[in-house]
Parts: sequence; structure tokens; C-alpha cells
Amino acid sequence: MSARLALGLSRLAPLLLLLAAWQAASAAGLLPRRVLPPFAEVAAALWALIASGELWPHTVASLTRAGIGFAVAVAAGIALGLLMARIRSVQRAVEPILLLVYPVPKPALIPLFMIWLGIGDFSKITVIALACLVPVVIATFNGARGVDEFLLWSARARGTSERALLWRVVLPAALPQIAAGVRTAIAVAIIVLVSSEFISSDAGLGFLIFSYGGVGADDAMLAVVIFLALLGYFLDRAYVGLLRRYMAWHAFAQH
Amino acid sequence: MGEPCLDLRAVAMRYGRGPEAVEALASIDLAVDEHEFVTIVGPSGCGKSTLLYLVGGFLQPSAGTIRLRGKPIAGPGPDRGIVFQRYSLFPWLTVRGNIAYGLAEKGTPRRERDRIVSELVRLVHLEGFEERYPRELSGGMQQRVALAQTLACQPDILLMDEPFGALDAQTRRILQDELRRIWRRDMKTVLFVTHDVEEAVALGNRIVVMAARPGRIKEVFHRGFEVPEGGEFDAIPEFTALKLRVWRSVKEEVEAARA
Repeated sequence: MSARLALGLSRLAPLLLLLAAWQAASAAGLLPRRVLPPFAEVAAALWALIASGELWPHTVASLTRAGIGFAVAVAAGIALGLLMARIRSVQRAVEPILLLVYPVPKPALIPLFMIWLGIGDFSKITVIALACLVPVVIATFNGARGVDEFLLWSARARGTSERALLWRVVLPAALPQIAAGVRTAIAVAIIVLVSSEFISSDAGLGFLIFSYGGVGADDAMLAVVIFLALLGYFLDRAYVGLLRRYMAWHAFAQH
Repeated sequence: MGEPCLDLRAVAMRYGRGPEAVEALASIDLAVDEHEFVTIVGPSGCGKSTLLYLVGGFLQPSAGTIRLRGKPIAGPGPDRGIVFQRYSLFPWLTVRGNIAYGLAEKGTPRRERDRIVSELVRLVHLEGFEERYPRELSGGMQQRVALAQTLACQPDILLMDEPFGALDAQTRRILQDELRRIWRRDMKTVLFVTHDVEEAVALGNRIVVMAARPGRIKEVFHRGFEVPEGGEFDAIPEFTALKLRVWRSVKEEVEAARA
């Protein structure tokens, strides 16, 4: 037990050092309050937000939006990526659009989506889905295209029909890469979620950040930012944990 | 003499067209009888793997006909079991799942499948490893699984594409010995490609030497004696003599390729 705990703590050391330096700089008067409130106050604000229960409805609202957008993107992204890899004309049609959409900062499309789809949740979810779609499609496409020819031959020589090849071999063989694309999509979902909630929103963690920032409650604003960081971190850990458990056949990199 | 198991007539294979076309195989005639173990040996680039992939149905010949038990070959099928040097196994399936793969595709009932799998697990000495994934196995064990996976489909002929080429020398000899044991038991027809002369002589009843540019059959040797159980062929004078004759034939080609 102690060895694992020590390793965990040693990993946290740089972070703890940074927070201590922040607190020390504030206490020594090197960091004016209007630049950055002391860490202790931010931590206290976070605790107050959690204890009062104020954070929860916003967290639920945010996770619902991000979750729906993410889920749609994963399902559509895997389907589209597989189609692109298997059907040449689909690849020709989709690839240029995808490469053009890739570098566009998706939050920049929010105003446009609001004109098209209204200012409610639908436009927010759509922009999250679009942003998450790109890494999933690219990962699926690359994974499905990279399947070793011998593996396909092996399956065909063992009685797998041309039609069944996609489900029996291409999809499972591409899973490790798809899993990596989905992991990227988790982070993207949170980033785009917060941006989407800055505009015309009455609930959500992005809304909370924007509201506290607007009234000068910097400690509470930063508390929500830290909460988001923790939320993203634990979602990622949980995802990697699930992969290790349910995709034990693949040797994932150790991090 | 009955009909051969596998019959290749005037089989040619060209890659590309026009003046830049590469002639990988030129007019191959080869008949493999039932229960025969034929090894094909030759320098790299002589088209020996291409020949195997044509029989497998993965590639289409530019000319000629290939028949298996009288039927022309049209694409891959479970009547020809293939073992590659690597990538024969599905990494997401356990040893059990991999061996049962072809049976599941064929729709063999669950209980029958389990019975065949446990029999094959015993045959290739993998008891206790049934629930492991390929990445948890050594290279030698992976090739045992690949062999069992192929045997499960009960093919008319076994096609082996340098199956022991990536293994260390000791493991290779042990697996050669096991393959010979399994062949003696089932008397499967085998077409086995290798670049290792000793392996070709130790396994094949008939040893086909191929030449490169264009790939063609150069010389055929018959092994008129048995390799003893246990595979200790080192002490057999006939073995050493035959190995030397085959090696000289192959060496000419290696040197010709280098010139």
C-alpha cells in the first residue's frame, strides 16, 4: 500500500508545489488580489459551492449537454470512419470537408448554430457533437485502414464472408485506435461545453464561470474552473480504467 | 494413382503491366498428392510466398489454373487452411476464441465446438492457456494456436507460409517436430514454404527448389527415408547428404540473385 501511495503523492508533488507557490506569493503580497485571489480563498469558495449544493444542478446540466453531444459523436464518428475506410466514394466525399473542419475552433461556430438551431440546448449539443466527431472519425478511419492485410486474409481463409469482415475483423482490429480517439473526444467535449455555455445560457458550469467573472467574484469563478479540471481528470481516469478492464487483450501505454 | 489433391498447371503471376511488369512466377506446374508433405524452398524473391497466396485464393493468377480436389480455386476458403509467419491470430480473441473462430463461422454447435477446441488444445500442448490473449503468449505458443485454429476448420490442405521463420532456433525445431507428429497422425496434405534448407528437408517428403527472376521450379528432391520421431535427424547420413544437395541447388540461386 505505502509504495503505491508514495508513488501517487510523488506524482502530485509538482502540482502541490505550484499551489503552495501560488499561496505563498499571495501571502507575501507579490500577487495582487485583482490579478489572482489567494489559493486558500479559491479552495474555500470551491468548498462553499460544493457544500451549499449550488454546483450540482449546473454540473448535471453541463454533463447532460456534453454527454449527449459526445455520445452522438462517438456513434456517428465510428460509423462514418468505418464507411470512409471501406467505401472509396465516401472517403472522397467526406475527407476534404473533414480536413477543412478540423482546424476550425468549434466554439467560433456557436453564433452561427444559434441562428440555425435556436439559442437553446440543441445548438450547444450540436456544436459539442461536431467538435467531438472529428477526432473519433479520424481515429476510426486510420484504425480501420491500418488493419493488417494478413489478418483479413486469415479471417477469409477461416470462412468469414466479405460482408462479415467489417464486424468480425475491421472493427475489433481498429478498436485500440478508436479508443484513443474517444479519449481525445472526452477532453474536447468539456472544452467546447464551457465555451458553448458562455453564450445565452441560464445553467451549466460555463454559465457559472461567466456569471461569477461578470460580477467580479474571481475566487468562485476560479473555483468552478478547478472543479472542471478535476471533473475532466476523473472522467479520463475512469475511461482509461474501463479500457484496461474491458480491452485487456490490448497493451495500452502506461499513463 | 488417383487425382492429386492440389494441381497447378502453367500458373503465372505478373505484377503491373507493360514494360515495367514484374514476372513473379512463370509457368508453374506442380501437383501435390493426398497426404503428401511438400516443402518449397528458395531465395527471397523467388515467388514462393506468392505461389502459396495464389493457392490460398488471396491473389488471382495472371495465367494458368489451380484446382483443389478437381475444383478450380475462386477466392479464399476454409478448405485451405493457412498459417502465416505472423498475424494469423485475432488479438481480441482468447486462445479458445481463436481456435473456435472457424467453427463459429461454420455454425458448429456450441458443445461440439468446445469438444473440438479442447482436443486441439491438447494436441498443440496449450492446456491451461485457453483464456489467455495472443499478446500474453510467446511467439512459439502463438504459432501453436495458429496451427490449432487452422486444423479446427478441417481443411483439405494446410498452407504454411514460413510459419516458424520468426522463432528462435530451439523453438523452431520443437515446433517442426510437433508439426511432423501431427502430420503423421492426421496425414493432412501440406504445402510448406520456407527459406531454411534444413527445415525443408526435415519436413518435406518432396522438396521443391525454386529459382528467381522469374520465379520458377528449378529442381525437385524426394526424401526416400523417414525422419525419426523426436526429429533427431542430425545423426542420419542420408539426411546430411540430401540437405547438402538441396543447399547446393539453393545456393546457386542465391548467388545468381546477388550477381
